[in-house]
Amino acid sequence: MLIELKDVNKTYNNGQPLHVLKGINLSIDKGEFVSIMGASGSGKSTLLNILGILDNYDTGEYYIDGRLIKGLTEKQAADYRNRLIGFIFQSFNLISFKTAVENVELPLFYQGVSRARRHQMAMEYLDRLGLADWAGHYPNEMSGGQKQRVAIARALITGPKILLADEPTGALDSKTSEEVMQLLSKLNREDGVTIIVVTHESGVANCTDKIVHIKDGIIGRIEDNRAHNASAFGTATIMK
Amino acid sequence: MKDLFTEIWESVRRNKLRTCLTGFAVSWGIFMLIVLLGAGNGLMNSFMRGSGEIATNTMQVYPGRTSKPYDGLKEGRRIELDDKDIELTSGKLFSKYVDAVVATVGANAQVSYGSKYVSGYIEGNYPSRKNMERMEVPYGRFINNKDIQLRRKVVVLPLNMAESLLGGEGGKASGAQLGHKLLGVEGDNSKVNPASLIGKYVKIGGLAWQVVGITKSDRTRNDNLFYAPFTTVKTVYAKGKAVDDFSFTFHGLDTKEANEEFEKEYRAAINLRHRAAPDDERALWIWNRFTQNLQMTKGTRILTIALWVIGLFTLLGGIVGVSNIMLITVKERTHEFGIRKAIGASPWNITKLILAESVSITAVFGYIGMFLGMLACQLLDKTVGQSSVSLMDDQIAMLVNPSVGLDVALEATLVLIIAGTIAGFFPARKAAMVRPIEALRAE
Repeated sequence: MLIELKDVNKTYNNGQPLHVLKGINLSIDKGEFVSIMGASGSGKSTLLNILGILDNYDTGEYYIDGRLIKGLTEKQAADYRNRLIGFIFQSFNLISFKTAVENVELPLFYQGVSRARRHQMAMEYLDRLGLADWAGHYPNEMSGGQKQRVAIARALITGPKILLADEPTGALDSKTSEEVMQLLSKLNREDGVTIIVVTHESGVANCTDKIVHIKDGIIGRIEDNRAHNASAFGTATIMK
Repeated sequence: MKDLFTEIWESVRRNKLRTCLTGFAVSWGIFMLIVLLGAGNGLMNSFMRGSGEIATNTMQVYPGRTSKPYDGLKEGRRIELDDKDIELTSGKLFSKYVDAVVATVGANAQVSYGSKYVSGYIEGNYPSRKNMERMEVPYGRFINNKDIQLRRKVVVLPLNMAESLLGGEGGKASGAQLGHKLLGVEGDNSKVNPASLIGKYVKIGGLAWQVVGITKSDRTRNDNLFYAPFTTVKTVYAKGKAVDDFSFTFHGLDTKEANEEFEKEYRAAINLRHRAAPDDERALWIWNRFTQNLQMTKGTRILTIALWVIGLFTLLGGIVGVSNIMLITVKERTHEFGIRKAIGASPWNITKLILAESVSITAVFGYIGMFLGMLACQLLDKTVGQSSVSLMDDQIAMLVNPSVGLDVALEATLVLIIAGTIAGFFPARKAAMVRPIEALRAE
């Protein structure tokens, strides 16, 4: 198993203690394309943060590729995030004063890769995502879809074990959303990238092979969706 | 490294005005520091020029009167130094510290040249006296060993006496003229050429003495003191074994304590020879130029420290300013730091970014300030440095070479780096501590 969560609990203590995750058990294998679905407040974002080592959990165990992720120092956590995980955010989170290629280079910069080498790699990834011509542009000169593709290139450049996408289509229109989802599914199919998508849109979830429903901090149903027929609104499009 | 500077440049470029305004405070701080230290140095240089004519490792010993009864003798007895004291000083007892002993012997004498005459005091001296007192001999030479050996009748006159002897006005170098000199009024004497007196014979005590040199006037004493060979004066004035006073150079006494210890022992030895109490400080006067110089050094050090403190406090304002804008920068860039952390920036990566920016701003603007400060020092040198006040017939420059050395520039650089680090430290820590999920949520 690539990812294993065993009885993970998380409580926020902001005044009133809030028990957000109430014993999460989840296993995700290498090469899977999984979505985590749930209403807001269900704990899906918290789960994603824990999966992405952006946040810590109180009790339980979390393994990535057999490595226990617990009680890490900030430096270790940063290193794991850099090497194991690629992030795709709803709001893209590109650095506005850096060009597309500089944004894509950044994770390699923190690995200490030389300037020339990381530029070359970043250009390769941008080219694969059809953005080679946009390499020198700043994020505010690009459309939402282009920005998200830059973000995907940035997430992929370190060759991570897991790609974590937090509402990757949340800020995109339906056509672009579909393109992005198709891109993710292609990456999963052709390159074998393990992808976990957190969403509340059933259309997005329907693009994935496995749908994990989370409700009130516990895992509910785990749906096998290899037939891609889970959407109530038809299988062809992502409804907005 | 290049990446770091690119990042800093990107950040600074986005906040030009803010950075420049804060940078100005830093520039001003360093500017003040440099100008203050430069002016301070100029002032000290001017003091040093006044006192720099004296070798520092000499002691001069004068006889006095006893102030305590001792060995059955009453106080108030006059002590007279003689050859035996010199032997004692240069002998085994003090050979560890004492180098050369030079005695003087003298008498009141009137010097006449042509129709002009000047009253003064002829002092029999040794050639090494010249170096001990760092005498400047602009014309001719000082007494040499041949003079001593052959008991030549030669004299070295101070400039003011030479001018009086050659002078156009009357023949008298009396108290009135001396008074003029003290007040800094230039007499007609400035027109005469003192060098013309070299090789000429003057009359002293009915004998003809050849003038071999002219020294710069010694403004610290107001009697007309002039020099002749020790042996000659001793013979001519029939002084026997007695000496007026003597000086010696010494080595190996590097601290105030060591000097005091030596003086105590030395005084005891000489005093006992003259049957005076060993601790009677009035029986024997010891003028130690080294300890005097130590005090002066201490004084200059205090002045330097005071100037540094003032300068650093001025700089402090600038540092607080830099710290302030770094805090604002951190706040503005929280979201960006969140992104960086999410994709693998360690806390140190973030800290480094802020610290480097802070140090860069401080250093760049600091160097601008330093450069301008040095320019101002040059300007000071060209204006105030060229003016002088007339004191006791001597032109004393108010500021001599008001500038700071390479050492100060290096120290200031160090100060800037430390200042920049301090200014950036708290903002950088704040930036490094922020948790990525919270940072990502921030806008």
